[in-house]
Amino acid sequence: MTSLPAYIARRLILLIFVLFGVTVLIFAITALVPVDVRAMLYVRNVQHTNPQQLMRIAEQYGLTRPLYEQYFTWIGQVLQGNLGFSKSAQQPVIQAILERWPYTFEIVLFAAPLIIFIGIYLGVQAAIHKDGIIDHATRVLSIIGWSLPSFWLGLILLSVFYGYLRWLPPGPLDPDLMNFRNTSPSFKRYTYIDLFDGLLNGRPDITLSVIKHLILPVIVIVTINVALLIRVMRSSMLEALGKPYTFAAKAKGLDDKTVIYRHARRNALIPVITLSGMLVAGMLGGLVITETVFAFGGLGQWAARAALNFDIPAVLGYAMLSAFIFVIANLIVDILYAYIDPRIRLV
Amino acid sequence: MEEDTLLEIRNLVVRFYTYAGIVEALDGVNLEIKPGEILGLVGETGCGKSVTSFSVLQLVPPPGAIEGGEIHFNKNGKIIDIRNLPKDGIRQIRGKDIAMIFQEPRAYLNPVYTVETQIGEALLTHRRSEFLKRAIETLEKRGKGSSFERKVYERMLKKPKSIVTKILTKFSRQKTLEEEIRKEVVNLLRNVEIADPERVAKMYPFELSGGMAQRVVIAMALSCYPIMLIADEPTTNLDVTVQAQILNLVRDLRKRFKSSILYITHDLGVIAELCDRVAVMYAGNVVETADVYELFESPLHPYTKALLESIPRPGQEFKSIPGTVPSLINPPKGCRFHDRCQYEMDICSKVKPKFIEVKKNHFVACHLYGGRK
Amino acid sequence: MDLGTKWKEIKVAWEPRIKEWKFMIKRMRESPLAILGLAIIIGFVIIACMAPILAPPTGPDPFILKVDTEFSVLTPQPTPPTVKHIFGTTGEQYDIYYACIWGTINAFRVGLLVVVIALIIGLILGVVAAYYGGIIDEILMRFTDIIIALPGLVLSMALVIAFPTIIPLDVTTIILVISAILSITFAAFKPERKFLLPTQIVLFASLLLYIYNPIVIGLNLSRLDKVLISLAIVGWPGYARLIRGEVLRVKNEDYIEAAKAAGSSDFRIIMKHILPNTIYPLLIVVTLDIGSIVLTAAALGFLGIGAEPNFADWGNIISRSRDWISSPDLLVKHYHTFLIPGIFITLFVLGWNLLGDALRDVLDPMIRRR
Repeated sequence: MTSLPAYIARRLILLIFVLFGVTVLIFAITALVPVDVRAMLYVRNVQHTNPQQLMRIAEQYGLTRPLYEQYFTWIGQVLQGNLGFSKSAQQPVIQAILERWPYTFEIVLFAAPLIIFIGIYLGVQAAIHKDGIIDHATRVLSIIGWSLPSFWLGLILLSVFYGYLRWLPPGPLDPDLMNFRNTSPSFKRYTYIDLFDGLLNGRPDITLSVIKHLILPVIVIVTINVALLIRVMRSSMLEALGKPYTFAAKAKGLDDKTVIYRHARRNALIPVITLSGMLVAGMLGGLVITETVFAFGGLGQWAARAALNFDIPAVLGYAMLSAFIFVIANLIVDILYAYIDPRIRLV
Repeated sequence: MEEDTLLEIRNLVVRFYTYAGIVEALDGVNLEIKPGEILGLVGETGCGKSVTSFSVLQLVPPPGAIEGGEIHFNKNGKIIDIRNLPKDGIRQIRGKDIAMIFQEPRAYLNPVYTVETQIGEALLTHRRSEFLKRAIETLEKRGKGSSFERKVYERMLKKPKSIVTKILTKFSRQKTLEEEIRKEVVNLLRNVEIADPERVAKMYPFELSGGMAQRVVIAMALSCYPIMLIADEPTTNLDVTVQAQILNLVRDLRKRFKSSILYITHDLGVIAELCDRVAVMYAGNVVETADVYELFESPLHPYTKALLESIPRPGQEFKSIPGTVPSLINPPKGCRFHDRCQYEMDICSKVKPKFIEVKKNHFVACHLYGGRK
Repeated sequence: MDLGTKWKEIKVAWEPRIKEWKFMIKRMRESPLAILGLAIIIGFVIIACMAPILAPPTGPDPFILKVDTEFSVLTPQPTPPTVKHIFGTTGEQYDIYYACIWGTINAFRVGLLVVVIALIIGLILGVVAAYYGGIIDEILMRFTDIIIALPGLVLSMALVIAFPTIIPLDVTTIILVISAILSITFAAFKPERKFLLPTQIVLFASLLLYIYNPIVIGLNLSRLDKVLISLAIVGWPGYARLIRGEVLRVKNEDYIEAAKAAGSSDFRIIMKHILPNTIYPLLIVVTLDIGSIVLTAAALGFLGIGAEPNFADWGNIISRSRDWISSPDLLVKHYHTFLIPGIFITLFVLGWNLLGDALRDVLDPMIRRR
């Protein structure tokens, strides 16, 4: 069957299965936590609660029930849209996600295309000029980029561009503008994404402020992740350049540019697309470290704080969300792949 | 170069610079093809047949390089020195004057493009103005003579390299042109005896069978009416019945188009069936060239004789040539066949025999027949 | 057969392999990046070995950072580099130089341990799944799919906080389970007799023990141990998938068929034919992973989920800098608390990455050559 719909159907079934498995895994992890620690979540003042009170609270919240019972109760709740209450955020998990998601999205919106296009371009160039200056320079720079700890790069950039130069502060938006956005009745949050809302409300200064705050985090993300893409593109391209069809294209009398870009690159891009999709999926799930360093207020930062504070519903909800995004993105990538390479539809 | 020769290769030297050493792939190859003839190039794997054919189109892959000798091509009266052509020059010959078909056709077709896209590409590269004019004609016949599309085509004809033209072609769909191309592709596929060419045109290479794919490749090679066709073992990977069909096709096409064919193979049976003349190669040298009947009836070179004797015959003992093909990194001195030759003389390991005409149109490189003149 | 002939046999059998290795080493020597990477790693090894000399231990456990009491009362702020504290101190008055030196040993430990554990698990599961195929393979693929679906950092975060500090380990049950698995595995593989018998003895013994006198011990996990275990759990699916892919590729080659036809046991085929031919890509990934594991561990440490606060860990030291993100002046003033430890991390990871990248370059054409 080389039909696209049949392929999509098969992948969907797999997706459901994997999601189910993810929920089981995550639940199993939380089940590792001792009952009394979990009960502590529901207590406002932990110091003043003695162990018996904790146990009673545990029973009250169903923490002592058999595991499979707890699991089904939890899944039931999840399917109804209730992901629990995040203690570290002082709001329901769902709301925490909805509030923080736009910030993560803003970063990914800029970082992802940059990574993909720079990666493809440099990878192809490195392959064409194999063992030349471009090839070596690209490789060295990208290896260095890949070796940098993201938090360290962030801290350094922050200390230079903020601490020393005062140009690019951390945070997603200028505090005054953020205040305006929150309190002013004339500001309508159409998309909840400040980047767009600013323009939609006729306040381009908000959009500009967002962009200004995005510069450093995006630099960090791109620097570190572009290396992977370059490497994969390069080796994929080298392989395509060595294939018989490239030779045949040359024998047909086509000029070098056509041979490289129309024939070799089209084939070489196929694995790169898969990688890009996974990369974007991973990023959409939240950039924990970068958001923490730049206090960006996105999903990742919330997750990091939640982990530190043993805020289990938050960590659970976040993990589920990440997995969900990842699996869906995978599906989209697979469909895209099948669209481009007709051979895959047979799988 | 003689006036009635189509392609002449003299003393071609090709070396490959590998990690393991310098491979002396071609050590002074001499070859000649006359117009309208099928020349068979036969030899064992690794003897340099393919490299020779690549050299003609300057397609020797790195780490290889052509380092000596001459290649002359007679294009409609004009003699072209292939080795000294500028970069663009050779591209005009590839696919147009000299076309090539390969051993595993599905591997040599781009897997992500359909048949019609790939053949269409060849047509657009070498017969571009012809199709543009056809498209314009069609547009006029349909009464759209003054449409935007027609203006685009005119511009493509007049100023193909200008930036404006490039932008126009990138952002507009040349529907009529594509239609004309498609018609021609279907025609070409029909010419190579593919049933249901409209359907095949829209297929991807992996959907084609081996025989079908080879026909497609042949159609593509012939699409621009080449003067000469190089066939590099095109039927080796096909089963025998399909092989017979393809050979018939090739013969037919030669009759129709009058092109010459350089047919590379290791199969003596195919040579006997198809070729007019034969060149035998061993370890980077052409050792014997003759008319096909002449070669089979009176082979002169010891290697040719041994080859012919080693063809399995029912009732006879199986005869093989003792020894193995030498490594070309440190090739033997003198004649490269000397250590396996039953007629080996003292001089054979010292001096390389020259390629000389011993009988009429029968050339040999062997000290048994002089070879020193 | 006397020793001389036996030795000659082995030499002949290994000759092509040795030739390939020599070729590999020659190519590596020619690559400046490989040499640089190796030099960096060796540099760190030297630092690690000389740690007691370079930074004399402050107590019974050298990894516990000592507070410099001279300053702690007077200055709650980090002190910049001075003669006494070459790299300065953190807010809690831990000597950064000391932490960096001993952090090197810690980095090696984390990187190597995690990779080895994850590798063993992944290797066994991957090979078994790929070789036997069918439902075992399906199960493994789904299982790894699930683990891979969760982003690494997220999953390790969740695991680290979820792992209880004391794991009650039911030793008898564990031995029982392991020996049961082993006996079934050996029965399936049909290796030489000598392996099967002892396993069955252990199985029987543990069964008796289980019934009569179960032993339960409490295993104490330090925070660092939790990090190690989490990273290993997150890491093994990658190896399993990789080795599975390679084994599948090799499984259908002719020499495996030949070995089967000659009557080799499955175990022998795996050890002698499959593993040597599939291990090269794994080598590359392992080298690169050591660096990336150290990065992840440092990230966890930076977030505060890593080792204890007074542990000599590179990420740990930098985590204090989080406090000054909102105050630009402090951030610049206390640059030394993150600049130098970060250089250590970057260089360490860089060394492994350079080596891994060079290895990939060298091994790629070799793999392609097949």
